[in-house]
Amino acid sequence: MSKSRSSSLSTHAANLSSKTGANQSKFFKTFGDDIWKNKIEKVNAELFIMTYGVIVQQLCQDFNNDYMKINENLFSMGYNIGVRLIEDFLARTALPRCPNMIMTSEVITKVAFKVFLNITPVVDNWSSNKDTFSLILVENPLAEFVDLPHDAKKQLWYSNIICGVLKGALEMVQLDCDIGFVSDVLRGDASTEIRVKLNKILKDEIPLGED
Amino acid sequence: MIYSFWIFDKHCNCIFEREWTLGSNTNNPNALSSGTINSKQNDEIGKLLYGMIFSLNSITQKLSTSISDNQINNNIRSISTGKFRIHTMQTATGLWFILITDFKQQNYSQVLHYIYSHIYIKHVVHNFLSPYDFALNPKEQRGQGVKKINNRHFINTLEAFLQSMLN
Repeated sequence: MSKSRSSSLSTHAANLSSKTGANQSKFFKTFGDDIWKNKIEKVNAELFIMTYGVIVQQLCQDFNNDYMKINENLFSMGYNIGVRLIEDFLARTALPRCPNMIMTSEVITKVAFKVFLNITPVVDNWSSNKDTFSLILVENPLAEFVDLPHDAKKQLWYSNIICGVLKGALEMVQLDCDIGFVSDVLRGDASTEIRVKLNKILKDEIPLGED
Repeated sequence: MIYSFWIFDKHCNCIFEREWTLGSNTNNPNALSSGTINSKQNDEIGKLLYGMIFSLNSITQKLSTSISDNQINNNIRSISTGKFRIHTMQTATGLWFILITDFKQQNYSQVLHYIYSHIYIKHVVHNFLSPYDFALNPKEQRGQGVKKINNRHFINTLEAFLQSMLN
């Protein structure tokens, strides 16, 4: 038996294992930018904003402005996107699993958000054990042109679908996380912040009889 | 020459298999054009194949920890025997794409990646009414599931793609 030499497809994955800190950060920035430029079909921004807007509007109608239920539904729609979008993401990037949450945060912001939404959130507020961090959305294409009605300002997380997408996608690479908004400029807060907390790393299944 | 193609999901279940085994059905003119399923009448083959790759992979993970702390990208890529080569690709989500071929070509990683990114993604992942997870309950996990991808578009596109490499 012999192991073949490394393929060109995964050479960047091998490159990346030798990089740390600022180097790694720069690597993902260039990597994400390159995929955005060359491997992504772009859609009309207005059509995208309107498609999302009409989903939220329809949910408001269906649930009679019960914003808690609307938040839940946006989250679960996002989850159903995330569990599939992760495969799309991996097919475009061929990235391996991240060994720690620091690299996970780099990949999420500089590659995933860049590739699918053309924004790069800022990573901040790390917990001391490095398993919880915040994503600060300086820009949010979903919420462009949006002004929340007064009664929604205290309860609705307008872009909650993003949290669901992250939840679903991370779960598929065995990272069980709690994800939720803690503030949103639409509600009058100073920034738009999503909190990501790693609960546990899920175990890969092993075939029956192998343990 | 390609002999067979397999997909295993993260539940260790075989969710797709196709064989193009010569010899057993040379009388059938369609033998080459459309793959047969399980021509060896032995549904243990898939389990054994997965078991071998799973075991080899656990060994390489252990070896890599002793060499360095970094376990990134130390998955099995190919295994050779006296007669054929097994090419494998694992995604971060735990899918295994496996192609068994002759010795003519060294590297099929591009082929496996194409199947994943252009055929599996389009016809299974982007197809929202098709499941993305084929095990519905714990009884179908850990290699005990029997559900297969039976989406016509997926099968036709995949067979057409692999067709060109059969000989």
